[in-house]
Amino acid sequence: MNLWAYIPQLLASGITIGAIYALVALGFVTISRASQIINFAQGEFVMLGGIITFFLLKAVNLPYPFAALIAIVIVILIGFMMHVLVIYPLRKASVLILLMATLGASIFLSSTSGLIFGTLPKALPPFSSGSPLSIGEISVLPQSIWILLSTFVLLILLHLLSHRTVLGKAMEASSTDPLGADLLGISRNLMVFLAFGVGAGVGAVAGILITPIFFTSYSSGTILGLKGFIAAVLGGWGKNSGAILGGFVLGVAEALSLVFIPSGYKDAVAFVILLLILYFRPKGILGSPFIDSRRW
Amino acid sequence: MTTFKGKGFLFSFLVLIFVAWASPAYVAEKSPYKIGVNLEFTGPWAEVTKTMKNAMVLEVERINKMGGVDGHPIELIFEDNGFDLTRVAANITKFTKDNKIIAVVGPFEDNLQATSRAIAEREKITNIIICPSNPQVRALKQKWAFNIAQSDIIVSQKLVDLSLARKYKKALVFHAAHPLAQSLAEYYKKFGEEKGMKVIISKETHKPTDIDMTPQLIKLKPIIEKEKIDVFYASTAGPPGPIICRNLRTLGVKTPILGTHAFGFGFIIALGGEAMEGVEFGAGKPVVPDQLDENDPVRPVVTDFDKRMRERYGVGIDQIAGHAHDAISLIEDALKRCQGKVTRSTFRDALENTKGLKNCHGVYNYSPTDHDGLSKTDMVFIRIEGGKFKRVRFPRFE
Repeated sequence: MNLWAYIPQLLASGITIGAIYALVALGFVTISRASQIINFAQGEFVMLGGIITFFLLKAVNLPYPFAALIAIVIVILIGFMMHVLVIYPLRKASVLILLMATLGASIFLSSTSGLIFGTLPKALPPFSSGSPLSIGEISVLPQSIWILLSTFVLLILLHLLSHRTVLGKAMEASSTDPLGADLLGISRNLMVFLAFGVGAGVGAVAGILITPIFFTSYSSGTILGLKGFIAAVLGGWGKNSGAILGGFVLGVAEALSLVFIPSGYKDAVAFVILLLILYFRPKGILGSPFIDSRRW
Repeated sequence: MTTFKGKGFLFSFLVLIFVAWASPAYVAEKSPYKIGVNLEFTGPWAEVTKTMKNAMVLEVERINKMGGVDGHPIELIFEDNGFDLTRVAANITKFTKDNKIIAVVGPFEDNLQATSRAIAEREKITNIIICPSNPQVRALKQKWAFNIAQSDIIVSQKLVDLSLARKYKKALVFHAAHPLAQSLAEYYKKFGEEKGMKVIISKETHKPTDIDMTPQLIKLKPIIEKEKIDVFYASTAGPPGPIICRNLRTLGVKTPILGTHAFGFGFIIALGGEAMEGVEFGAGKPVVPDQLDENDPVRPVVTDFDKRMRERYGVGIDQIAGHAHDAISLIEDALKRCQGKVTRSTFRDALENTKGLKNCHGVYNYSPTDHDGLSKTDMVFIRIEGGKFKRVRFPRFE
């Protein structure tokens, strides 16, 4: 059997799942740019986005776009609440303690979701119906194209936010130079508060995009969060473009690895890649503003 | 005034204590038979086990209202094992310490069973397990453990019958990477090849947590085309079932799909949507409670239980509610047949001698060599059509 014949279709599948990793990674990066916090509840925002939309659609019978919009708003509010209830009271603690706190918040959010919305996995209807499109030998779902387009739009929006607005620059400044930010009168707590909202919103959008293809259950946030984190580190911790690139590299590498190794080891690929990156290029592919290269 | 109030309070308090102490003696003349229930009430199967608890409570209340078993009411003691092996072990150990507890029902999942069964064997208490066991566990021939679901052997035999009825000659099996799914695949190959089929078991596997099977299926697609595979068998349970069906259809593979009895749940159709159309499998009768034959021996049991579930909870029965009903019914039947005083050991012997008990999932016959109870004839062929389970019949195969 010719191994190379699989590659176009595997690439297509890898790019779709890569876009999802990229979206989760973007959420990680948004929060870490403003506060240096690694928010391990990011995967839970993704899960909540999908599950709350499902609930609004099926139990409350709202129209699809409306349900999605309200779900995003609810998840953003949850992001704000997480800052107010978990991060703000611990603002004087070290980053390590904050990391533990976000881990606790993630367990809380996933269990609560299981209690309120049930534990069975859920699937949303696709955005646009229709059969898979075939381009040459490859067949793709219309939903995959939606995912790619939305990832692209979100990336542009986040880029504009962080490089073209005072707000975005203030967010970044409060993380890279806290003293300077204080001297300029930037409220760092407010910036972290807003970053949690943006991060949660990006997560919720990712959740709504993926639930039609990959089912979402109360516990599916954990593995997505982990993969997104690996993607963010891989691309360059703290860079939006790095997160996107890392996501796609990870997704494609996972899919292509199947040509060479049995599928049982698929999940290990992500961790092997992470280890290799940490050994040979700890700053990630595009370099990280937070990791001082002189230390390595 | 105050003293009077105080005395009045004291008097009513004493009356209350007396009533509380004395009343059980009036309601139940004889001590209850306690049954421990050790299930995954939290974790991924929380919704499924909730149905199970509802159905068990319904049945036990009905039995107790009708006077219990020879005047003894049945009492269920629920413990949550949280899908966690250590808590499974802790719960069953706790149950064994209470000498009023006669038997333990649960756990549910295949991978939690081995521990529970081993403890039951050591402590000499009957353990009724919900899911089928994998061959490694069954090979231990444990005296105290009983299964109530269809075993991997009869499920595979039924599926081979279905394949023969559909005249499938070549099958490709894509199984999950856990022992039960693997043994379903291997038995299907064994029984299928005895009947002249060609069965290929895929080298690719999937994990229950995989969210995308496309990469594996891309590798299988050329095999399906080259070997002219007639049917694709997804030997799996839970969400991977619908994921495989959707991914396979997305890749443009139109081969018919066979599933396991774990496809017989409403939520599986809801997840898979259109991709589930035409999927066929063999499953227990409670999947299609309204489509059983007029002369089916278990039809009255299924219809009656379905009606009572609808009255109490507003939803009809499914396979899980059926298992819950069958567990309680087996326990009631065995308690009635206990020789002499009801103890853990007489209960076990009575349960092992269950013969011809008509339950939701079929007619149960246990023997010292068979702790699975059901046979191939207790299953029906199901096809998913129009988003619903539809029974299909074949003249020679039923």
